[in-house]
Amino acid sequence: MLELKHIQKAFGDKHVLKDVSLTVKKGQVVVILGPSGSGKTTLLRTINFLDGADSGEIVLDQDHYDVTRIAKRDVLAIRKRTAFVFQRYNLFQNKTALENVIEGLVTARKVPKVEAITRGKAALAKVGLADRVDFYPSQLSGGQQQRVGIARAIVIKPDVILFDEPTSALDPELIDDVLDVMRDLVDDEMTMVVVTHEMSFARDVASQVVFMAEGNVVEKGTPAQIFEHPQEARTKQFLARILRD
Amino acid sequence: MTEQIFDVHFLLETFPKIMPYYPITMAIVGVALVFGLLIGFFCALIRIYHVRILTTIVNIYISIVRGTPLLIQLYLFYYGIPISLRLLNAKFQTNFNIDGVSPLWCVLISYSLNEGAYQTETIRGAIESVDQGEVEAAYSIGLTGAQTLRRIIIPEAVKIAIPNLGNNLLKLFKNTSLAFTVSVVDIMAEGKLIGSEGYRYFEVYIALAVIYWVSCFVISKVVDVIELRVNVAGKRIAR
Ligand SMILES: Nc1ncnc2c1ncn2[C@@H]1O[C@H](COP(=O)(O)OP(=O)(O)OP(=O)(O)O)[C@@H](O)[C@H]1O
Ligand SMILES: [Mg+2]
Repeated sequence: MLELKHIQKAFGDKHVLKDVSLTVKKGQVVVILGPSGSGKTTLLRTINFLDGADSGEIVLDQDHYDVTRIAKRDVLAIRKRTAFVFQRYNLFQNKTALENVIEGLVTARKVPKVEAITRGKAALAKVGLADRVDFYPSQLSGGQQQRVGIARAIVIKPDVILFDEPTSALDPELIDDVLDVMRDLVDDEMTMVVVTHEMSFARDVASQVVFMAEGNVVEKGTPAQIFEHPQEARTKQFLARILRD
Repeated sequence: MTEQIFDVHFLLETFPKIMPYYPITMAIVGVALVFGLLIGFFCALIRIYHVRILTTIVNIYISIVRGTPLLIQLYLFYYGIPISLRLLNAKFQTNFNIDGVSPLWCVLISYSLNEGAYQTETIRGAIESVDQGEVEAAYSIGLTGAQTLRRIIIPEAVKIAIPNLGNNLLKLFKNTSLAFTVSVVDIMAEGKLIGSEGYRYFEVYIALAVIYWVSCFVISKVVDVIELRVNVAGKRIAR
């Protein structure tokens, strides 16, 4: 489904991704863990070309893309097949929840407005916001805004959704609403790459857990392998610290 | 009859005499506003997207406009256009009619260019303060750069820019009072004429002040209403 091969990325002389390879199979949930600054956000952003990687290859289904000489047209094609859920929601403040959700259908994919509205409302209903369709982001709680963000992602039927710490900006009591929606997507066999610090979520739903540090993948495996029998010292340290909190 | 110190009657009679020239003032404002916005929009895009050589040209243009008085810009066009045409005629045997260049044209061109420079700064500032997160969200759902500009950036930027665009407009309106210096007959020029005929300058300037003030008051109210509308659209109270 999605494969990253030898992705490298530097900002100036700071090597943020040193050589990252990753395989995500269809319907899998890959959870990425790692300390702050390890390059998790950057990795997700290079998949969606919000940041272009310096070298490496991205494979989406049968399509191979060399990031160093990718055409604009291919970037657009990849973006249309992937979706991004942002840490800070990044909703369009000028638009209602429904308008936020259908923008990608109407403008980018030329879906007829009537069909887009039907699909948009269905997506909002799926995330539990059927009664908030006409609300503006400023009228919604953080948890509701993030669920609009998820609706905006699922409505385009992407091959894979990239989540960048979707709950870390939320008040604790709002986190579960969002995680429940995400578990729901897991049940639908949505392919997902999730950066998160929600360990119980990772343990419950991950097909694969990837531990990153300083721009490298240090260790990967099933939740049982990573959480119960971590092999690397840095993984152990990280887990000890985070599970203690 | 003894000479009055202050002639209210003269003051009141001045209004109907000046107002026929109001359309000229409005024309200068209208043309400079429209072209200023167009120039401003394209120059802002050039600066934001760093279109190589054009960025340099735009930067020089803006620095000249901002670094010289409007009055001098006006004179430069007033004297410069005929001289340029004469040079062209001499050099290329062309036959431009120098007398065909009316002062009004010089005013329209110089005010548009002046306005364009200030609008560039306003529009660029507004576009740059659009939340980068929203721009990235637009890209992430597959919008192209042009679609993102049209659907996300411009609507947000307009909202941000309106108060400053309003201030630019007020300044432009008041600046039209310099057009008389190159013998365009607007309300200011006609007022000066009336004043000199009746030796009643003070009354005339009061009349002019009232006209400018009322006009600016109306403009600023209209801008307020537009601003309110745009903001309400972003925060409509949901049922
Ligand atoms: N646009 C940028 N310009 C320069 N440096 C950047 C940029 N974006 C990220 N970095 C640097 O790259 C490194 C990795 O950042 P990244 O955001 O990917 O980390 P992260 O693992 O997501 O961290 P966190 O858990 O804090 O979100 C950091 O040192 C950061 O300062
Ligand atoms: Mg991050």
